[in-house]
Amino acid sequence: MKNFFIVLIMKLFYIGLKILGKNGGNLLGKVAYDWNRNIFKYFKINCPVIAVTATNGKTMTNNAIGYTLKTAGKKVISNTEGNNMETGILSTLLKNCTLSGKIKADFLVFEVDEGYVPVVFKDFRLDTLVILDFFRDQLDRNGEVESLILRINEFLKNYNGNLVLNNDDPNVARLGKANPDNKNIYYFSVDKYKFATKDIKEAGEGKFCPFCNTRIEYEYYQYSHIGKFKCPNCDYGNNKIYKLATDIDLENRSFKIDNITYKIRFNSIYNIYNFVAVISCVSLYNIDVKFIQEALSKFILNNGRLEEVNIKGVPTIINLAKNPTGCNVSLRILNEDTEEKELLFVLNDKLADGQDVSWIWDINFNNLNNVKRIVTSGIRAYDIAIRIKTSGFDETKIEPYLNLHEAVESLYKTNTKKYIIANYTSLQPTRKALGL
Amino acid sequence: MKELNILYLYPDILELYGDFGNIQVLKYRLEKRGIKVNVTPYSIGDEAPDFTRFDLIFSGGGADQEQGILSKDLIKYKDNIKEAINNGVFFLLICGSYQLFGKYYKDADGNIIPGLEIFDYYTEAIEDRQKRCIGNIVINANLKDKDTKIIGFENHGGQTFNIDSPFGNVLYGNGNKFGDTKEGFMKQNVIATYLHGPLLSKNPELADYIIKYCLDRKYGENTILEPLNDDFENKCREQLLNRFSSNN
Repeated sequence: MKNFFIVLIMKLFYIGLKILGKNGGNLLGKVAYDWNRNIFKYFKINCPVIAVTATNGKTMTNNAIGYTLKTAGKKVISNTEGNNMETGILSTLLKNCTLSGKIKADFLVFEVDEGYVPVVFKDFRLDTLVILDFFRDQLDRNGEVESLILRINEFLKNYNGNLVLNNDDPNVARLGKANPDNKNIYYFSVDKYKFATKDIKEAGEGKFCPFCNTRIEYEYYQYSHIGKFKCPNCDYGNNKIYKLATDIDLENRSFKIDNITYKIRFNSIYNIYNFVAVISCVSLYNIDVKFIQEALSKFILNNGRLEEVNIKGVPTIINLAKNPTGCNVSLRILNEDTEEKELLFVLNDKLADGQDVSWIWDINFNNLNNVKRIVTSGIRAYDIAIRIKTSGFDETKIEPYLNLHEAVESLYKTNTKKYIIANYTSLQPTRKALGL
Repeated sequence: MKELNILYLYPDILELYGDFGNIQVLKYRLEKRGIKVNVTPYSIGDEAPDFTRFDLIFSGGGADQEQGILSKDLIKYKDNIKEAINNGVFFLLICGSYQLFGKYYKDADGNIIPGLEIFDYYTEAIEDRQKRCIGNIVINANLKDKDTKIIGFENHGGQTFNIDSPFGNVLYGNGNKFGDTKEGFMKQNVIATYLHGPLLSKNPELADYIIKYCLDRKYGENTILEPLNDDFENKCREQLLNRFSSNN
C-alpha cells in the first residue's frame, strides 16, 4: 500500500514538474528511493530487462539497443538520457508505470553506472547484462578499477541470465567465470583494425592475469588495453566467440559479422565495439538482421557522442570524454583526419566529473596532426593548458579561458575545422555556448 | 651538453594517478634549458639497475594489489638503494612508493607487506576500505629556507606514522593521516609524499628545486636556472589557492 502511494505521489510530482517545464531527471527517483529503499520490488515487469554497463560507451550502446528494438517494432522503455544510477533508473520506471507498478513494454533497456549494478539489480529483474569495458575513471569516486570489478564479480556469482562480454578487454572477459554454473555467457570480439598496434600506446589496466597473476600477452592492441590478449600460463582469454566483427572499414564506416555487412554513421574503432555489443545483445532475442542493419545505418546521438555539426558555418565535431581512454580515442580520430583543425578542450572537476584531474596526464597529446591552435576552458582550463604545453605543443598557440563564452568566441575567430572535447559536466554548457 | 639521468621505477605498474606527469614536467623544464634528459625505465624482470649511477630516482603510485607484487621485487635492491641515498642521489617517491620505503604497510585485512625499511615510518590502512583521505590538498613546504605552497590531490587509505621530518605542513586537506598537520617525508635528497596532481605540474618552484639540486650535485656548481614562462602555472596556482582557502 505504501508503494502505491509513493507511485501516486511521484506521478503527481512529475506532472507538476512538467507543468513547470522541468524534466525531473533523477529527482523523482531520489525522492522515492529515500522514501522506501525496497521500492524496486514493487514493479511488475513482464518483459525482458536488458542492462548495459561499462566505463565508456554506455549511453551510446543503450540508445542503439533501444533504437534497434524500436526499429523492429518493439515497445521499449529506456533511460535514454543517461541517468544511470539507482535514482535515474527508478525515475524512468516511475514515469512509465501504472499506479499499481505495472510496466507495459516489450523491453526495458537501461544503461547502469558500473558502480551501481549490484544496487539496482538486488531486487529487480535482469535478463541480459552487457559489459563493454572497464578503464580507470574518476578514481576518487570509483576507487580502483580492481575493486569495481570485484564488486560486479560478486554480484554475478548468483546471476544466471545472459551475460554479453567484450572478450577483447581482460577486465571484462574475466567476469564470464564469476558463476561457473551460468551457461549463458556470450563473448564478442573485433578483428584487428588498420591502426591496431603491437605495443600499448596509452595507459591501461589489467596487465596481470586475475587468475594466476602472470603477465598477460597481447597479439595486438586496438586501443588502450583493448585487444587480442591471452594469459600464456592458464589460457585465460581463449574463449569461444559468439559474434566476431571483421573487415573493419573506418573510411566507408562499415564492418561485417557472420558475413553480413553493417553500415554505421561513425568512424572510430571505439564505436565498432559498441555496435558489436548491440548486435550480440539483440540477436539473443531473434531480431531480424534487416532491422539491425536499418537501425545501425541511421543511428546517431545528438548529445556530444561524436556529434558532427556546423557552427557559424564551420564544421565542428564534439565528443564527450571523461577519462584518458575517451580522450585518447577522440584524439586518435582527430589525428586520423589530415585536414587543418583547431581544438577546444573543456575540463571541469565537479563531483560528477571526479575532482582529481591528474588523469589528464594520461592523455597522449604528442604529435597532434595539423592542429593550429588549442583553446582550453572549464573550471580547470589552466590545468589542461599546462598539460598540453608540457607535451610539446607550442605554448603560444594555447589559449586558456575560464569563461566558456570567451573560449567559444575566440575559437570561432577562424573558419578552421573544430574538434571539441568536453568532460561530463562541461558538455551541456559547452553545447549551450555553441548555440545547440 | 649537460644531462641528467633519471631512473623510472615500474612505469608500467605504478602509473595509476598520472604520476608519469612528474617525469614529463622534469623533462620539459630541463630540455627548455638545453639540458639532455635520459629516462631509464626499470620493471620486474629487467636487468638490475645500479641506483648509484643515476641523478634522480622516481617512483609513483599504483593499485594495492600490484604494489604487493613489486615490493617483493624492489626489496632485492635494498642495499644498493641505501647506498644511492647516502651518496646523495635524489629520490622522488609518490604515494605507494612513499609507503614502500618505510618499515611496512599493513593492509585493510591486517596483512603486513614489508617495506624496504630504509626510513622509520610505517603505514597502516584503515579497516573500512571505503574510508580514504581523498581530496585537494595544499601544504607549506620548506624548500631551501623558503616557504613554498604546494598544491596537489591526495587519495590514500594508508595512514602513515612516525615521521620525523615531514615534507610540509598541511594548510588544506589531510596529510599523512586524517586531519594531520603534517604531510609526507623529506630529507635533503628525498621527497616522499601522497600528493598526486601530478605533484610537479602545478608546482614549478618545487620542480626547479629538485632540478637545481641534481645539477648542482652532478656538476659541482651553483646552477642558476633560466626562468621559464610559467604563466599558465601561476594563473592556475592563483585560482586554486584562492578556491581551496575559501573552502577551508
